[in-house]
Amino acid sequence: MTDRIASLKDYIVSKKHQLNLRDIETDLAGDFSRRGLSARERMVERLETVLATEQPFILPGERIVYTRTVRSLPELFTAGEWAEIRSGHYIHELGYVSNLTPRYAHTIAGGLEKRRGEILAALPGCSGEETGFLGGLLRAIDAVEGLADRYRDEALRRGNEEAYDVLGRIPREGARTFREALQFFRILHFTLWAEGEYHNTVGRFDQYMLPYLEADLEAGRLSRGAAFELLEEFFLSFNKDSSLYPGVQQGDNGQSMVLGGRRADGKDGFNVLSAMCLEASRELKLIDPKINLRVDGGTPLSVYEMGTLLTKEGLGFPQYANDDVVIPGLTALGYGPEDAADYSVAACWEFIVPGRGMDIPNVGAMSFPAVLDAAMKDRLREAADFEEMLRAVEDGIRASCAAILSGVSRLWMIPAPFLSLLMDGCVEGKRDVSLGLRYNNYGIHGTGLATAVDSLLAIEKLVFDERSVAPGVLLEAVASDFQGRGELLHRLRYELPKLGDGSAEPVRLAERLLDAFASAVKGLRNERGGCVRAGTGSAMYYLWHAARMGASPDGRRAGEPFPANFSPSLFARLPGPVSVMKAFSGPDLKKTINGGPLTMEFHDSLFRGGESVGKVASLIRWFVGRGGHQLQLNAVNRDTLLDAQAHPEAHAQLIVRVWGWSAYFNRLDREYQDHILSRREYAAL
Amino acid sequence: METGILFDVKELSVNDGPGLRTSVFLKGCPLRCIWCHNPEGLLPRPQLMESGAPCLGCGACRGGCGHADCRPFGRCLHVCPQGRLRVCGWREEAGALAARIREQESLLASSGGGVTLTGGEPLLQGGFLLALMAELKPLHVAVETSGCGDPDLFGEVARRADLLMVDLKQMDDGVHRRLTGAGNGPILSNLSRLMASGRPFIARIPLIPGVTDTPENLRETARFLSPARNLLRVELMPYNRLAGAKYASVGMEYRPEFGASHPPNIDGSPFEARGIEAVVL
Repeated sequence: MTDRIASLKDYIVSKKHQLNLRDIETDLAGDFSRRGLSARERMVERLETVLATEQPFILPGERIVYTRTVRSLPELFTAGEWAEIRSGHYIHELGYVSNLTPRYAHTIAGGLEKRRGEILAALPGCSGEETGFLGGLLRAIDAVEGLADRYRDEALRRGNEEAYDVLGRIPREGARTFREALQFFRILHFTLWAEGEYHNTVGRFDQYMLPYLEADLEAGRLSRGAAFELLEEFFLSFNKDSSLYPGVQQGDNGQSMVLGGRRADGKDGFNVLSAMCLEASRELKLIDPKINLRVDGGTPLSVYEMGTLLTKEGLGFPQYANDDVVIPGLTALGYGPEDAADYSVAACWEFIVPGRGMDIPNVGAMSFPAVLDAAMKDRLREAADFEEMLRAVEDGIRASCAAILSGVSRLWMIPAPFLSLLMDGCVEGKRDVSLGLRYNNYGIHGTGLATAVDSLLAIEKLVFDERSVAPGVLLEAVASDFQGRGELLHRLRYELPKLGDGSAEPVRLAERLLDAFASAVKGLRNERGGCVRAGTGSAMYYLWHAARMGASPDGRRAGEPFPANFSPSLFARLPGPVSVMKAFSGPDLKKTINGGPLTMEFHDSLFRGGESVGKVASLIRWFVGRGGHQLQLNAVNRDTLLDAQAHPEAHAQLIVRVWGWSAYFNRLDREYQDHILSRREYAAL
Repeated sequence: METGILFDVKELSVNDGPGLRTSVFLKGCPLRCIWCHNPEGLLPRPQLMESGAPCLGCGACRGGCGHADCRPFGRCLHVCPQGRLRVCGWREEAGALAARIREQESLLASSGGGVTLTGGEPLLQGGFLLALMAELKPLHVAVETSGCGDPDLFGEVARRADLLMVDLKQMDDGVHRRLTGAGNGPILSNLSRLMASGRPFIARIPLIPGVTDTPENLRETARFLSPARNLLRVELMPYNRLAGAKYASVGMEYRPEFGASHPPNIDGSPFEARGIEAVVL
C-alpha cells in the first residue's frame, strides 16, 4: 500500500469526509403531492434535487473523486400516499428496485452523450407515457453531467489537474483508459445510490474492466504497480458513503463484486485483474467491496490459494460459487446459456444475471421444520409407514411454496429511471426496469433443512423402525419441550445420526427434501410470468422461523434457533469439517440454485504457517470438485471467539486449531476456550 | 481380524505430516510425560469423559439407570441435559476403521496428504497398527511415535510407513526418566537403527519450558541426529498452555512440575548449525 492510499484510508476510516453532511430540508413529498406528480416524475425530480444539493468534495490526494454529502434522501410520498400504495400492493422491502447487477460497461464504453443519442433516436412515435419515461432519462443525464461539471470546477479550484482532465471527458464521452473507466463507474454507482436504489451490486468487474487495464499495460500508459494503486483507491471509494446506505446492519449494503468464472467463450475468466482485486481486498481489509470468487472443477490450486490468503484476513470473503453447479442449474430454470454463464451474485448469495435480470431472489422463505411440524401433528398417529410421513412433508412443502407466492401478488416497485438506463433494453423498450425485464423470477429461501432432516431421521428410527417410541409419546414430548423426558431428549440430541456427521442416511433425506422443494416450485409462475427458484439460503429467517415454533423431534428445544443458511444443526456432534463438506455437497444442488452457501468458520490459526494456506485451498478445491454449490468460509479471530463465548448458538460451527488438530470451539471446556483466547501471546510463532 | 482401542479420529489435521490428513489416535501409552496434552490417551481402556456445557447439578446421571453400557462407570450416559457425559475410547476392527477413513480418500490424496496414526503410543498395539497400515494402503500413512516400543516392531513399522515421526524429548537419561517415567535408552537405540535404515523420518521435539528447551538439550539432540541422512527435518513443538485443559474431564489433576507459564525457548539454531532444517509448528 502506498502512503497516498494509506492516508486516504485513514481519512475515510476516521470519517473525516463526513463531517459536513447536508440535509435536504424541503418537504419534497408534500410538494410532489400538491403538484400531482407520478412516481416516475418524483424519482427524476428528486434525483435532480439531490445531485444539485451535492457539494463537490475532493479528499486530499484523491484521484477517483465523488463523495456523498447529502445525508439522506427526502421522502417521495406523503405518509398517506405511501399507506395507500401499500394497501393495494405487495411492496418488496423498501419498495425500491434493489439487488440487481446493472450493465455498467455499455455506458462506460460509450459515454452519456452516446446514451442520450440512443434515447433521442427512440423518441419518435412514442406514446405519452414512453415519452415521459425517455424524457426522464434525459433529465437524469443532464443532472449527472451537471454535478460532474461542478466536480470539475472543484478539481480546478483545488489544483487537482488530473481529476480536472478526466472530468473533461467523463461521463459525457466513453472511457479510454482504466483510470477513466474507474471514475466513470464511480459516477454511475454514486448516482444509483443517490436515486434511491440499494444493494447496487458491482457484478463481474474483472471481466468488463479488463480491456481498459490490458490496453493501458500494453501501451505502457500504466505500470502494474500504478494500476494496483488506482484499484486500491477505487476499492476505498466503496467505503466512503456506505454508512449512509440503507441495510439491516451497516455493511449489509450489497456492494458485491464477482471475480473469475467462465467467459462467454467457455474459457476460464480468471485474469490479471481478478488477482489484483483479491490482493487489493487482502491489503485494504475493508468490508467493501464484498468479494465472490467463481470457480469450477478445473480451477487451479493457485487460485484457491489466493482466495485462502484473503479468507485468512477474517473478512469472510471470498465467497465461492461453483460454475459447474450454478450454470447448469440456472440454465434448467430457463436462463439462456450465455446469461447463465454470465451470472453474478446479489447482495448476499443469490445468483442473478447482469443487465437482464429483474429477479427478486429473496421474496420469501419456506421453513422446512415448520412444514414437518405441521405434517407430524397432522399425520404421525395415522401414518402406516415412514414413506407416508415423508409424502405428507412433501405435500406441506408444496402448499407452503404456493402460499408464499400468493402472498406476494400485485407487486409494485418504485420506478428507477437512472437504473433503467443501465439495464439492457429499457431504452429501446421505452420501459422502466421496475416493470420487469427479460428475467422476472422470484426466489424462495429454505430454512432449517438440517433441523428437518435430523427430525425426520429421528421419527424414522424411533417411531417406525425400532417402534421404541409411540407416535403419541413423541408428539407429547415435542409439545411439552421434552419435560420429564430426559432420556429421550438425550437420545434425540446426541445419539442419533445428524446431517453432517459423515453418515449417508441424512444426506439421502436432505436430497429428498431439496428435491421436494425444487419440484414444489417447478410449475409455479409469478404474475410477471417468471418462475420461482428454490434456494438453500436462510437470511435472518432462521431465527424468525425458529422463534415461531416450539421444540422439534431432533431434540432442538423451544427457543433454540435453526442453523443459518445451509449448515448442520447447532448441537450436532460432528467428526469435523471434512464430514460436513461431504454431506453438504452430497445432494444434487443444481435443482435448488437460488443460492445459499454452506457456511463455516475456521479459526485464523488454521491458516498459520506457510503450508497451511495450500492445505485449506486443497480442501476448498475438493468441496468444489464434489459438487458443492457455494461456500462461505470465515476465518475468525479473538473478537469472534469472545462473541462465541457470549453467544455460542451464533457460532456453532466455529472451528479452532488447538495446535495440530482442530476442534469445535463450543465443544471445548470454558477453560480451553479461555486458553485459546489468551494464546495471542504466541502469535509470533 | 485385528481390533484396536482408539480415542479419537480427527479430520483436517494440518500439522501431522504433509497435505491434509486424518489423524487416528490409538489409546494407551507406556510413558507418563509430565506435559502430556492427551491424558485421555494414556490408559488402554474406555474411560468416562465429562466435558462441555456446565453441569447443572441435576443429579439425573446418578440415579442408577440399569443400562448395561453405563454399569462400568456408575453414571448414566444417556440422560445428561447438557450432554456432558461420554465414553472416551472404543474398540474398532482395522478393516472397518480403514474403510471409514478411505471414504475421504479423494480429499486426502488430492492434497498430497493421508493418514497419521498417533496416540497414545501406537506401538503398544502392534498387531492392530500393522493391520491398519496395510488396510489403509494406498493412502499415504505416517506414524507418529515416542519411539518407546519393541525394536522389531519399531523396525517393521518404519519399513512399512511412508513417513515416521519420532519424538525426541530429552537426551539426558536421568532427566528423561524423571520427565516421562522411563529411560531414553530403548528410544535412542530404536532411533539409531532408524537412522541407519535409510527410511525417511521427521524428529519432533516438544519445547517444554526449562525442561526440554534448554540450549544444552537442543544442542545434544542436534548432535545425536546429525549423522542421519534420512532425517527430513526437525519439527519444534512449543509447549502449549492448553496442555492441562483435558485432565479434569477424565478425573485427573494436572500438576506440571515446570514453569508452565513461561514461554518456551524457540531456537532452531543448534540444528541449523549442523545443516538440519528446523521448523516451528
